Amino acid sequence: MMEKVIDEMRLPIGINEQSAEPLYFQIEVQLRALIISGTLQAGTLLPSIRELASQLKCSVITIKRVYSDLETEGLLRTKQGTGTYVSHVEEQSREEHRHGVVIEAIDHLLEAAKRVQCSRQELEQLIQEKLKEYDD
Amino acid sequence: MEEPAIVFNNVALTRDHFTLGSLNLSIPKGYVTAIVGPNGSGKSTLFQMIMNVTKPQQGNIQVLNQELNHHNDDELKQKIGYLQEDATSFDQYIKGYEKARFQGKWYRKWNNDTYQRMLSMLGTRDDLALKKMSKGTRRKFDLALAMSHHPELLLLDEPSSGLDPIAWKTMIEVLHQYMENEQHTILIATHIIDEVKRLADYIVFLVDGQVLGTYEKDELLQSWVTYFIEASSSIDITQLPGYSEHKLVSSGFYEVISSKAFEAERWLEEMQVNIRSKQLLELDEILLQQVKKVRQFAK
Repeated sequence: MMEKVIDEMRLPIGINEQSAEPLYFQIEVQLRALIISGTLQAGTLLPSIRELASQLKCSVITIKRVYSDLETEGLLRTKQGTGTYVSHVEEQSREEHRHGVVIEAIDHLLEAAKRVQCSRQELEQLIQEKLKEYDD
Repeated sequence: MEEPAIVFNNVALTRDHFTLGSLNLSIPKGYVTAIVGPNGSGKSTLFQMIMNVTKPQQGNIQVLNQELNHHNDDELKQKIGYLQEDATSFDQYIKGYEKARFQGKWYRKWNNDTYQRMLSMLGTRDDLALKKMSKGTRRKFDLALAMSHHPELLLLDEPSSGLDPIAWKTMIEVLHQYMENEQHTILIATHIIDEVKRLADYIVFLVDGQVLGTYEKDELLQSWVTYFIEASSSIDITQLPGYSEHKLVSSGFYEVISSKAFEAERWLEEMQVNIRSKQLLELDEILLQQVKKVRQFAK
């Protein structure tokens, strides 16, 4: 089947349907990362609520929640009648946000390590190995 | 709760072999609500009641903030677009454009440009007698008619019946565009799972004349799960939060369905039950679980 040419912006957000994490949460984490990393620059107009909901095949209720949460965090702002835009993120809070994302992932890592009773030494070794890949 | 577009208060209707209600139901404005249920559950009757064609024996119905009566019948219908389940046959010998001309006289907000745009967007035509149109052409033509007077409320009864997959995709796009206006509301009855997934914000289960509940779609689809678990016989699996049914797969291995994924998982963890795998239920499977429950109870 031929796909219609899409002229509107498509956000690189993926959904894992089998994940235990609520949909709004999955979308929120990814959209936040896109803003904080600077992939979406200040002033960028986001798709309308209905548009993003249809792209991600979820309900507008979910997207409303995501936009409103990120607005509360100061990452988005809504102009009445024109749409939702990416806010200007301060350099300092960008750093905080960036580190926050990584720290959260490290917490997950530590939990996982604990679950399989990985010793401190083992963990250090594994991380060292992975870091080599990261530098490449 | 959001501002409602349609409210059913205590509505009931009994016919020879069928009872609908009593229903208490609110359809929120600005959203797409899908009514899902087995054949003969009363979906089309519900639409006819909103259109004031079938009258309930009990209760009242409010549409766009007005209670239905014979004074506001015309005023309300000017604001509603209705695609009924079966195409009309009384007018089958007239041409499509003749029917459109008639509708154009009747609807004060009829817009011929919108109508022409709809025809071309949906890929249909109006230069044929209605009788000569293929099922899909007629369906698309009827949808174009239903939307050309800029209704605030769109009632769609099995809109995609007879549409091929390409026409279906176009219809979904057209409906998404319609919903870009936040004052617009769609109530849709459908059997097509993918249609619910792509369109709906809320889901209403209507089974054997009873409303089982209104759910936020995303929440609903994430809350029903089948777990494949390893459990000793000392655990009473029916105590699982949201328990719906289970079966023994082999000695010590069970398949169990819960409607409360989050609580269920915590419970299983507490009981030190090993979850081998899990699988979200599809909408049709959720419906089946609901139907079973209702019919078991009815016995």
